[in-house]
Amino acid sequence: MSQCRRFEEWLDRGTENGFAELETHAAACGPCREELELWNRISQAAPSLRKRWESPGLWVRIEKSIHESRRADEASRGRKESRAWWPLLAAAALFLVAMIGLRVFRPSLGERELLTSRSFSKPLLTEDALSDVEKSEERYVASIERLSRLAEPKLRQPSTPLLISYREKLLLLDTAIAELRSQLDQNRFNTHLRKELLAAYQEKQHTLEQVVKEEKS
Amino acid sequence: MRVRARGGEESLVETGDSASVREPEAELLEGARRGEVSAFERLFQTHGARMKSLAANLLGTPSEAEDAVQETFLKIYRAAASFRGSATLSTWAYRVLVNTCYDLLRRRARRPESPVSSVEPPVDFGSAPATDHPLRVDLAASLAALDSRRRAAFVLFEVEGFSHREVGDILGVPEGTSRSLVFEARRELQRRLLGSREARA
Repeated sequence: MSQCRRFEEWLDRGTENGFAELETHAAACGPCREELELWNRISQAAPSLRKRWESPGLWVRIEKSIHESRRADEASRGRKESRAWWPLLAAAALFLVAMIGLRVFRPSLGERELLTSRSFSKPLLTEDALSDVEKSEERYVASIERLSRLAEPKLRQPSTPLLISYREKLLLLDTAIAELRSQLDQNRFNTHLRKELLAAYQEKQHTLEQVVKEEKS
Repeated sequence: MRVRARGGEESLVETGDSASVREPEAELLEGARRGEVSAFERLFQTHGARMKSLAANLLGTPSEAEDAVQETFLKIYRAAASFRGSATLSTWAYRVLVNTCYDLLRRRARRPESPVSSVEPPVDFGSAPATDHPLRVDLAASLAALDSRRRAAFVLFEVEGFSHREVGDILGVPEGTSRSLVFEARRELQRRLLGSREARA
């Protein structure tokens, strides 16, 4: 390395600014002149790094790869186009199957009327049946009222944990009965609701009987 | 500072202002967009030799350079229809080539054990002056040690004679960055050449 640091400093600056001053300096400074000559020779020698050689088969290779790529693209496009019909075909097939199914399995008018009458008449009570059920409920209510009067002193001040739990149960049953009665006010012929209400009455009657027995024991 | 004339017979149209130069590039681009193979053949005839040289200086061997050029043409064929860049077709082709070379270098770095083909076609290194011949050998060795970005900038500007504007377009950097990259490459080469000279002395 040279003793003079001027050229190195110029290099470290990282830009070509100040090159004219450096050239002036190098005219009188041997080491810097040497470095400057090398600097210029890099540019002079650089074009000698151009590499030129014949490649007679290269374009043929490129052309072949382009044609192969084109064929692959066309094949891919063809597959995509054929695939584009698939959802439409599937929908058409589904529609056809649905239409055949409707034709084969669709019930006749008579069958439909029968189905309708069955499905709607079954869960509903007739007026006579309803009257019988309501009488039965009245009997339960009367029985429950009698039992309630008997059980009332014990339930008001329960002395055992069992009686406390009976009282809780009766409260729940009263809530359920009130709910069912409210629903039945809107649909008096509903068999399911009537059954539920009857079951609730039965359970309340049974629970009150247990309370009365408990009181006696 | 630069003593040699810039831009050879293969100068890109970006620097040429005449309509006669721009027009064939526009026609070439239209043909390429339509997928005409003849357009790519014209591009190869005009720029193929320079592209091979650039790739050989970046990759080191002529066979790899030819592979890179082939891959580049395939890439630009596939993407030409959707090319909407402001650059010319040739500038774009060089950009794709440089990126392809970077990819190949990265792939090579991942497979360091893969041997380089020993069968290479004869290479004509051009007509360098006899006095420069020793420096050319050292320069080539020093150049191979540079990082790929600075090497690409140096090869494009100093070896292949592109302008800084063209180098910037090809590397996807501003013109000023191209100047910086070339300067840094020359500085690195200068230090390496001085180092090897002193080691010999």
